Order: sequence, then C-alpha cells, then structure tokens
Amino acid sequence: MLEQFISFLGALEEQTGLSHFWWGNLVMIAIGATMIYLAVSKRYEPLLLVGIGFSCIISNVPGSDLILPGGLFNYAYQGVALLIIPPLIFFGVGAMTDFGPMIANPKLVVLGAAAHLGIFVALIGAKALGFTINEAGAIGIIGGADGPMAIFVTMKLAPHLLPQVSVAAYSYMALMPLIQPPVMKLLTSREERLIVMKQNRQVSRLERIAFPILIGVLVNLFFPPVAPLITMLMLGNLFKEVLVVDRLAKTAANGLMNVIIIILTIAIGSTMAADKFLTFKTVEIVVLGLIAFLFGTGSGVIGAKIMNLFLKDKINPLLGSAGIASVPIAARVAHLVALRENKENYLIYHAMGPNLAGVFGTAISGGIMLALLGVK
Amino acid sequence: MIIPDSLNGALALSFIDFFLSIVMISGIGFILALFPLLNKLGKIDEDKLRQGQH
Repeated sequence: MLEQFISFLGALEEQTGLSHFWWGNLVMIAIGATMIYLAVSKRYEPLLLVGIGFSCIISNVPGSDLILPGGLFNYAYQGVALLIIPPLIFFGVGAMTDFGPMIANPKLVVLGAAAHLGIFVALIGAKALGFTINEAGAIGIIGGADGPMAIFVTMKLAPHLLPQVSVAAYSYMALMPLIQPPVMKLLTSREERLIVMKQNRQVSRLERIAFPILIGVLVNLFFPPVAPLITMLMLGNLFKEVLVVDRLAKTAANGLMNVIIIILTIAIGSTMAADKFLTFKTVEIVVLGLIAFLFGTGSGVIGAKIMNLFLKDKINPLLGSAGIASVPIAARVAHLVALRENKENYLIYHAMGPNLAGVFGTAISGGIMLALLGVK
Repeated sequence: MIIPDSLNGALALSFIDFFLSIVMISGIGFILALFPLLNKLGKIDEDKLRQGQH
C-alpha cells in the first residue's frame, strides 16, 4: 500500500513541473522579482518592468503552458515576432509627441545621428567577440536607445537575441540619469554647460501637419526596411496635429498604447527562459550595450562641440547627449545637468529637438544596416 | 548579404552606416529649414479645426 502510494506520488510529480526545476529557473525568478521591486520601490520604468518581471517569473516556472505554442504568452510573443507590436507602439508615441522643437531648430537635427556612434562601437565590439555580423548589428542597435526600434531590428537580424537585446535596451534607458551625466561632465567645461540657448521660433499648424506627411513619404522612399515604424509614428502624430480627430489621437496615445504595452511586456518577459538567458553571451551583450550608451552620449556631446566651431550662436553641448533618442529621458537628463550649473537655464525644450531627431537617427541607422546586410 | 561576415565587414558596415546616417539626417534638417516657407501658403485657423471634431 505504502509502495503504491509512493509510486503514485512519483507519477504525480512527473506530471508537474517540479521534476524539471533547476537553479537557472530560480535565478530567473529572482531577476523577475528584482524587476518588479525596482519598478515598485524605485519607480524604474514601472510601465515596462512590472509586466516583464511577472512574465519572466511565470515563464521560468517549469510546466507552465503559457509560453508554449497555443499559450497566451506565446500569442503575445507572436505579436512581436510578426512585427505588429513595435509599429503600434510608435503609433501611440507619435500621437503624444510634439515635434515642434525639432521643426523649430533644424540645425540641431544632425545631433540625432552624431549621438549614434555607440551603435557602431558595440557592433564592432560584438563582431570582435565572435558574434555573427547579424547578431552584432542587433547588439549594436541597443545604442540607439529606442526600445521598439531595437526590437524591430533584432527580430529581423537575430530574433534569438530578443530577450537580451530588449532587456539591455530598456534597462539602460531607465538608467540613463545615472549613465549619462558623468560622460557629459567629463567632455564639457563649466562654461560650455552654462551656455543659454536662444528661444525657438513658433511653429505653425501648417508646418506641424506637413511634417508627418513629408517624413512618411521620405522614409518609405529611402528606408523601406524600417518604414513600418516611422510611418506609424507619423500617422499617430498626424492624428494629433490635424486637431479634427482628437478621439483617435487620444485613443492611440492612451487606451491603445496601454494595451500594446501590456502585450509587449508579456512578450519580452516570456522570452527570458533560463536555458536561453543564462549564458555568457548575455553578459557580453549587457556589457556591449553599456559601452554603446556611453559612446553614444559622448559622441553626441562631441558632435555638438564640433558644431560650435562653425556656429556664430554657440549651442550648449549638453544638447548633443539628447541625440541618443530615448524620448524624453535623454532630453530630461540634459536639462537637469544644465540646471545644476544654472538654476535658470531651462534646456528641456531645446533638448527635445535632438532627442526626437535621435529617433529618426536610430531608424535611419537601422534601415541602412538592414539594407547593407541584405535583410528586408 | 552585401557586407561580409568578418571584422572588416563590421568596420565597413559601421563606417558606411554612420556616414550615410549623418548625410540623411542632415538632409532632413535641410528640408526642415525650408519649412517656414510653407507659411507663405497661408494660415490655418486652429479654432475652426477644433470646432469640426468628428
């Protein structure tokens, strides 16, 4: 009777996930719990980290059917894999973004490309470490500091690296207030940080409406590989700027955006299975991502200083760091670093110009990369 | 694949991509610098637009 009972319990254990549980699952569950802790107690990107953390925990419970084909988390992942979710995020972002600062000061737009040197430093570093060139491209795009774009390019170049790339990109974006200021201070003098910018001109409604239409056409003409993202960004922005479809603009910026964020976070967390995530490659990718952010910040600041060699009205070189993208975090960091030197130097509006240009800079870099690597 | 899967390929890809990105985004900047010309076409009445919500 006792033997029968023990064998019954053994058979029951085989039916559960307990027999497949290993230390890797425990580590990943701890990582997921840490994400939720950071979101709740430190307010680090709570909209993203709560969902990713929970999904990571559940995905590392052996026996969970949610991540298997037919499971709900797997359906969320398919939204990312089929490249539906990233463009929809851009749609919502477009509906809540004011491109006025970028239109008003076009000379700062070039900083949106200058601040992307980090992409290429990480790309070359990844190749030197033995990654394939497609994998290196996906790792490099972390330096674009643009979550949806990083996901989009990674799904095209190296989909198996999605968990590492997306987690590194979003984590460093959340940590930008810690990562960027030391680099910005190292590369600028106090006098440079004290430069006060001239007030921007007013941007008319006609310009605001023409902007998304024109950019939509240009991107589809020159950068078809990344056109879905920028096209949806521009559609969302057009809804906002025409002023006659507020209902749609508000839905894109609020309700729809929230639904998409839920799906995205579940999808990312569901890819963080221990056997795929706990590898030395993950450590390499995380380090390369940090290098990309540091170099991107530095190259943006140096780009602004180079511009100052030719400009009559000098610009505050801190604006260069905002060109890395990560809207609006990088602009806010530039603003706060300037504010620490002079309490009346409000850079935020000026920093939004290169910051928004950084989104286009990442898209252009990603588009050229996909084209050169022959990926459609 | 146009770019070879090697370190030299990565260097070439990086150089071309960075250079073209600067050129392309400068092009966008140039077009934006022409945007004030649009205002010569006329002015949009924002109040009228807001009244026509659907």
